Amino acid sequence: MVGVIRRMNKLNALLGVRNGPGAAILPSEVTRIHLEFAHKFNDGHMGPRKFWREALPRLKFWNPAVPMVVNRSHDQSGPATLSLYFREPGATVQPDSAMPSSSTEGDAKAPPPAEGEIVVTIDMKHRRSDMILKDFLAKSGAVPVKPTPQEESLMRDVQELEERGKVDRERVKKMIDHEKREKALMAQAHSEAAAIKAAL
Amino acid sequence: MASTTRCLASLARLSLSAPARPTVVSTIPKFLVPSVAAPFVRHAGAGGMRKKPVKKKKAYKTFRSYDMSDVETYSLCDAMRYLRAFEVGQPPTVSKYELHVKLKTNKSGPVVRNRIILPFPVKTDTRIGVICPEELAAEAQQLGAVAVGEESLFQAIREGNIRFNKLICHADSQDALKKANLGKILGPKGLMPSAKTKTITSDIKATVKELIGADEYRERNGVVRMAVGQLGFTPKMLSDNVKSLMSSLKHDMAKLDDSTTKALDDVVLSSTHGPAFSLNGTFAPTDEAITPEHLQSVM
Repeated sequence: MVGVIRRMNKLNALLGVRNGPGAAILPSEVTRIHLEFAHKFNDGHMGPRKFWREALPRLKFWNPAVPMVVNRSHDQSGPATLSLYFREPGATVQPDSAMPSSSTEGDAKAPPPAEGEIVVTIDMKHRRSDMILKDFLAKSGAVPVKPTPQEESLMRDVQELEERGKVDRERVKKMIDHEKREKALMAQAHSEAAAIKAAL
Repeated sequence: MASTTRCLASLARLSLSAPARPTVVSTIPKFLVPSVAAPFVRHAGAGGMRKKPVKKKKAYKTFRSYDMSDVETYSLCDAMRYLRAFEVGQPPTVSKYELHVKLKTNKSGPVVRNRIILPFPVKTDTRIGVICPEELAAEAQQLGAVAVGEESLFQAIREGNIRFNKLICHADSQDALKKANLGKILGPKGLMPSAKTKTITSDIKATVKELIGADEYRERNGVVRMAVGQLGFTPKMLSDNVKSLMSSLKHDMAKLDDSTTKALDDVVLSSTHGPAFSLNGTFAPTDEAITPEHLQSVM
């Protein structure tokens, strides 16, 4: 089993899922979110993929009750859209009404809005993930979460550890390279000696 | 005393006027002297090729155990909240929650190993076919079998219409199965019922139940690892599964003989794409704004 210290260092990096681009609390009017894009990045699907990988986990952490469904298809020429479902003021919407769960085969299409719901779509194709996020925050009215002073100091610690790790990695790499070089030299010398012996 | 020995040593050095070792005294260069002519000189073994003593590693009898007092632990709902964030957008039946239970145990000796039927089965793609006399077919179908019968099922198999991935056979139909000559079709697929794999049975109900729900767990390198839930499970379902696994484990550990002692060290919840969280045994989320109901939305 992975050692405790290494595991704890990794968990400190969880700060990254609490803070950063996408850490925002959605207003209560947002009922659900649906994303649709292709598996690979060509034909303008890089931005949506990045948005899913980077911003969506943070959004999910801060809004665990909001269903966020990703529908990935193998059709690269297909659309890349984000659908935001809003509750109309005064209306009550059944939670999770007819929402399919995420799919990798492209069969979880965005459902039509339920009664008392409106849909706002964002076209994500050929756009960078940060632009998508900016658009998303503006259209959804989400409030970004600021890190607490405690978290900020923890973040600095994590960064320090990362920097120290970089120094250590270089040092160890030098050592390993040196060892490898010596080994190679020895092997070459041995093979040359064997060749001379064979020639005699 | 020390001063006299030092004095003696210096005296001895003074008295050595001739060289200690005989040398070849001649006009020819040293490297031309044939080796036979050189006096037999045996070099002392000091220095040179002597092997360094290999440092002996201390052999530990038990697996390494860490000081867990500084380790951050999480309640089940907190860990689920994080894991659901990491798994967002993954199909909920594909991504799984997994439990890793570290034990305080010796490296050698008996291991914990058992089968368990979880309250909420993790594997859902088990489709069972039952070969049984036609009068038992209705009962088997009720238990969840997708294909039942005797001659009708054989015909379907011959036509290549195999909709199941587990096949069991009632003891009364054993002869019919032998006569049907299906070994060529079922054998390569690993579906041929046999007594050895306990797929020929007289109690269909128990076997079906075991095939559907039972999962095997086993201790490897001091850790028991097992999938305990799908990502779509509610906190309550996952907690039931974790509890049932833990009680089964404790039961197994108590059953071992007295000479081997095993104890729980660490219980860790992880998921297919997520990091690992040490659990502290509590259930409720620490954030007041979050309730367990929030953690059961569609993934």
